[in-house]
Parts: sequence; C-alpha cells; structure tokens
Amino acid sequence: MKLAPLSVPYRALQKAGRLAITLVFLGSVGTGVGFGGALVAAGIGGAIALALIYEFAYYRRYEYTFTDDTFDIESGVLNRREREIPYGRVQNVDISRNVIQRLLGLSAINLETAGGGSTEAAIRYVTADAAATIQDEIRRRKRGDDQRRRTGTEPTDDTEGDTADGDSEATDSAATREFDDPDEELLFEISPSELALAGILSFDPRVPGLLFALFTGSIPFVSPVVPEPAAVATTGLNPTLVLFVMGVVLLVGLVVLSWVVGAISAVVNYWGFRLTRSETELRYERGLLQRYSGTIPFEKIQTVTISDNPLKRRAGYATLAVETAGYAPGQANDRGSEAAVPIAGHDRIRRLAAEIDGCETGTFDRPPKRIRRRYLARYLIALAGLTGLLYAGSVVIDAAAGLPWYLPVVGVLLAPIAAHYKWLHRGYRLGANHFVTRNGVWNRETKRVPYHRLQTVIDSRTLFQRRWRVATVIGDTAGSLSLLGNDAAAVDIESDDAVSLRTELRDRLQASLADRRRQRTVGSAAGPPVAEPSTAVSDESVGDDTDITPDNNAENS
Amino acid sequence: MNALNPRIRIVWVLRSLVGALILGGAAAGVAVFRSVSLAIPAGLTALFVVLGVVHAILRYRNWRYVVNDDALYLERGVLTQVRTEVPLVRIQHVDSRRSAFERLVGLASTVVYTAGSRGADVTIPGLTPDDASDLRERLKGLAIDADGEDAV
Repeated sequence: MKLAPLSVPYRALQKAGRLAITLVFLGSVGTGVGFGGALVAAGIGGAIALALIYEFAYYRRYEYTFTDDTFDIESGVLNRREREIPYGRVQNVDISRNVIQRLLGLSAINLETAGGGSTEAAIRYVTADAAATIQDEIRRRKRGDDQRRRTGTEPTDDTEGDTADGDSEATDSAATREFDDPDEELLFEISPSELALAGILSFDPRVPGLLFALFTGSIPFVSPVVPEPAAVATTGLNPTLVLFVMGVVLLVGLVVLSWVVGAISAVVNYWGFRLTRSETELRYERGLLQRYSGTIPFEKIQTVTISDNPLKRRAGYATLAVETAGYAPGQANDRGSEAAVPIAGHDRIRRLAAEIDGCETGTFDRPPKRIRRRYLARYLIALAGLTGLLYAGSVVIDAAAGLPWYLPVVGVLLAPIAAHYKWLHRGYRLGANHFVTRNGVWNRETKRVPYHRLQTVIDSRTLFQRRWRVATVIGDTAGSLSLLGNDAAAVDIESDDAVSLRTELRDRLQASLADRRRQRTVGSAAGPPVAEPSTAVSDESVGDDTDITPDNNAENS
Repeated sequence: MNALNPRIRIVWVLRSLVGALILGGAAAGVAVFRSVSLAIPAGLTALFVVLGVVHAILRYRNWRYVVNDDALYLERGVLTQVRTEVPLVRIQHVDSRRSAFERLVGLASTVVYTAGSRGADVTIPGLTPDDASDLRERLKGLAIDADGEDAV
C-alpha cells in the first residue's frame, strides 16, 4: 500500500520551507557580499522543485504491507530500508494530525515498539482512512497474534462492526471509524469545566527558561529600561529598592506569562480528551489543533499514578497518569504520558484508576512518628543555609545591600507544618495485587505497581537514615517515568520493616508471576487482563516452571 | 554470601588515586598561579588519597553478593548502604567486562541488565575472569530456566 498522494506536495513544501529559511537567512546576511534578492528567490524556487522531485521519488518507492505476522515497510530513495515489525511487538499505534494535515486529509502514524523511547516507524502521511485502517488492522492482527501465542489456536476472526454508535463528536471519517469497535467502552471524557480547570492549573515551566535564553542575549536591549542609579537618586528613591521592585515586577510578569502559555497549551492539548477501553487496550484521543490518538495495551501498563495537591484536594479533584514500558506516548513533544487525565473529580479518577488496574483502596502504613523531627531539622537547615547565603550576598555585593535577607526566616513557622505533612503523606501498602506507595508534601503522588511488574527491589539506608533506624525500599519498574528516578518508594520506614518488605515484595512477585503463568497455560486468553482475580498471593511454590508450554518459551525469542 | 576478591581494593585505590592526582594537579596549578604555598595542594591530595584508601577498605568490607534460587542479592555501600534484589526472571542480559585497572590486577566485573530503569546499576566487580564468566553463564542459565515470560 502507498502513502497518500497529497503527501508529496506537503512533504516537499515542508522540506523546501526549511531550506528557504536557511536561504533567506543567508540572503539577509549576504546582501553585503553581493547575493541579490533575485538569486535568493531563484534558490527558493529551485529548492521547491528539487524537493518535489525527491518527494515524488520517495512516494513512488514507499510501500507498506500487512503480512501474516509482520507489518512490512519498504522505503528510501537512495538508501533502501526494509523493515519487518512483528505485530506482537507493537506497543502503540499513534495517529496525529495538525490543522494543515486535517485540511489536506493527511495523517501521520507512529509505530512504537518496546525498547528505547524512539519511534520504531514513522509513516509520514497517509490518508485519514488509511491511517484508521492501519490502526485497526494492526490491533486486530496483534490480538490474533497474542491469542495464537497463548493458546496455540487460531484466533476467532472478529469481524469489524460497521455500526457507528451515534458518536456526535466525530468530526471526520477517521474519528468515526475509531469508535466502530462494538466492544469499546467509554471510560472517560473530559468535561468543559474540567478542561477549563486543567488550563487554569497548568503552568508551563519552560517559558521562563525560553525567555531567559532569549533575553540574556539582548542585555543591551534591556539595560536602557533599567534606570541609572544616579537618575533614580534625584527622585529621592532608594536605587536598590527600585531595582528590587523591578525585579519583582519582572518575575510576576514571567509567572503570569508562563501560566497563560501553560493554560493555552493545556486546553489545546486536552481538547476533546477521551479515553476508551476495549478488551485488550486503552485508547486515547485528544487535541484541538493537532489531533492525537493512540492505544496502550493493558499488557504494557506498568504503573498507575494518582496525584493531587492541597488545592485540588480541597476542590475534590485529582490527576491520573498511566505509564507503559520505556515509552510514554507523546514523549516527542514533552507533554509526558498522554494517557494522563489532567484533572477530574476525585471519585471519577478513583473509579477510572480501578477500572484500569483493578487495585483496591485502603489505608497506608506510615513511617514512624519520630521521623518528623528529622524532616523538621532538614527544613530548618535548608532555611538557615538560604538565609546565610542571602546575608552573605547582601554583605559582599554592594547593589544588594538593602536586600531583605531575613525573609526566609518566616519559613521557620511553616517548617513544622511541612514536616508534619511530609510524614502524613508518606506511606505504603501491600495490596492484593499491588504495591502502593504515597509521597509528597505539596504534590501528593500515589503510585500503584502490580507485583508482576516489579523489576529489582532496592532497599537503601543513608548515613542519616541509619541514625534514625529507618530505610527506603524502592520497587523499580520498567516504566518510562522511572527513568527520572520516579519509582514507587516506601521512604523512611523502620529498618526491620524494610527488610521484611523487600523479601515480601520478592515473594509476591514470584507468586504473581507463577499465577500468571498458570493462567496462561490454562488458556484463559480471553478476558480483560486488568481485573485479575485477587488470588495472586498464594503460597504457590516459587520458581515452579514445570507447567510451561513450549509456547511460552517461544515468546522470549 | 560471597565476598569480592580482595584485590579489588587495589583497583578502587588506584581509581581514587587518579582522581586525587587530577584534583591535586588542578589545585597545584591554581596555587602556582596565585603564588600560594604548594603545601595546600599537597595536603589536599594526601587527604583525598587517605579518604580513597579508607573508602576502598570499607567498601570492600561491605560488599556481599549471593545467587539465590530465584534472585540475585547484593549488599553494598559505605555511606548509603544499598541492598538490591534482582529476580532472575527479570534479567535481560549479562555482560562481563574488564577495565584497564581490573586487567592490571587480573580481575573482571559482571554486569546484570534488567528492563528496569536502574538495571545498569547492578554491577558485581572484583571477580576473577573465570569467576566472572562462570557467574555470567550461571545467571544466564538461571534466567532462561526461570522463564522470563515478558521480562518487562
């Protein structure tokens, strides 16, 4: 099968556009050297022509096919590349379309496989219908593949239902097709008020950095605005104070700007966010200008994280994120996991999370109370350090002489509260099928890791922790966010508890794996893998692998 | 519980020596530039060397590892003591490697990789080359036996 014909001019213009920018830049630099405007125009024209020829060749030589067990792509004009991607290895099929692509009826497809965060295959621009077909077809064949591997039988070829289930939001044929699947169930749909809240609560921390990078290069540009100390002195104001006030104004401006940008991007990103589930996977769809849709197989879900902060708690809201192995959809545009529900009512989040991973709620085991003194000491030391630094700064640097260096001391009043909340929010629980941890003073995160997703279990104690006779137990997973050291961790629990927790986690991992293996061999391939019966924690002999069929071994190859 | 080969201390001491010499060299450069007495950089280097030696000795004393029925268990660390449990089912692949210093004293390391984010952290240093490849083969065999289903 071929790409969409319209992808030729689109890709060519994309490529020529980049070239043109370079040329214009060269032209503007080079006018002095003798490059004329006509030459630049000719260059741009030539670039477009060249790009068109190249892209036409690219289109001619690009071919994708569905074989029985692989998805094959042959591509390349000068360097030929042939890829065979086994259906079973495909993690996600993401479709995205920006405004122009939607006008032209084009879709970009990203195929993700496990292993690394990079995209395995990026199909640049097929028609919207073809994109939906690819997504459906891969999903169908993948399901068949999984069933065959599990049971060793041919899958029952489920026919695609053609009844559009009254999806009023479907704006084009691609969107309607996505909800054709009769066994697809709507889990979550963002409401306008939730979308508005998500916008209000978004703060884009990248904006200050970007502005900083932009403006440090143009200090001479800014300095005329900053009044000369001598000039200020004539008005009878304290020059330091003026500088300080200006700094504060600038900072507030930055914060407001970041907030506005964050709000707009959140609304644009999560517009029309909906999450559906089918038998084997979650599917999300979102975006105003650029539509994203993608799938997350339940088999690949590593952890489910619910987070909130005091403001959200007061208003009864929370945030949910779903992590898959080594890849969070949309890493490319740094928005993090897109199966994340930005904000929704606390109860809805709770129900949705339970729907996804089947974990029950319960109470947490907290660290010992004495640890609050440690947290308090830590906060006080940090405050003392900050105050000392500011004081030293105000003494050494003349311009900062009037700086209120004693300001952080106010924090002393807040430190005991923060220490208490740090302790209060910390905790862990051993659920029927999940290791659940909770952490965070302000932003409280509850992480739920199914036992069978645990990788290594680490128990560590620093010098200070040893003095307080506490330890930290970390349950490492293959989740993508844990690359940032964001693992499920039971922090500062009693040393003895840590040792027993570590062995307990290991045993439950083994038991849960043995249980899953048994279920597979029994052949219960059907049924949602999420809500597994909570019999996982049995005293089943560990390391018992006599009941493995050759099929299971074949899976590792 | 197995201890490491005592010669690993030499490797660690050599490594900290290199670090100390680089730092000492930089400090000496500054001292010459600022025309301060060279006693300060010399003292600093000596301090780093002593710290390095003490750290190497303690580190060796705290290092333990054992291959259990279903997991590889490690205990290590001087200031922060870490105990790691690597289930054999989770092992993706096993390397053995030898750095220049390790070759100098005839030692090798075994590195165990898992799909987890901290996978590459699991390095067992201070093995004789034969022990390292034995351990590698053994872990590989156990990992295959344990049947990693989807090791993710």
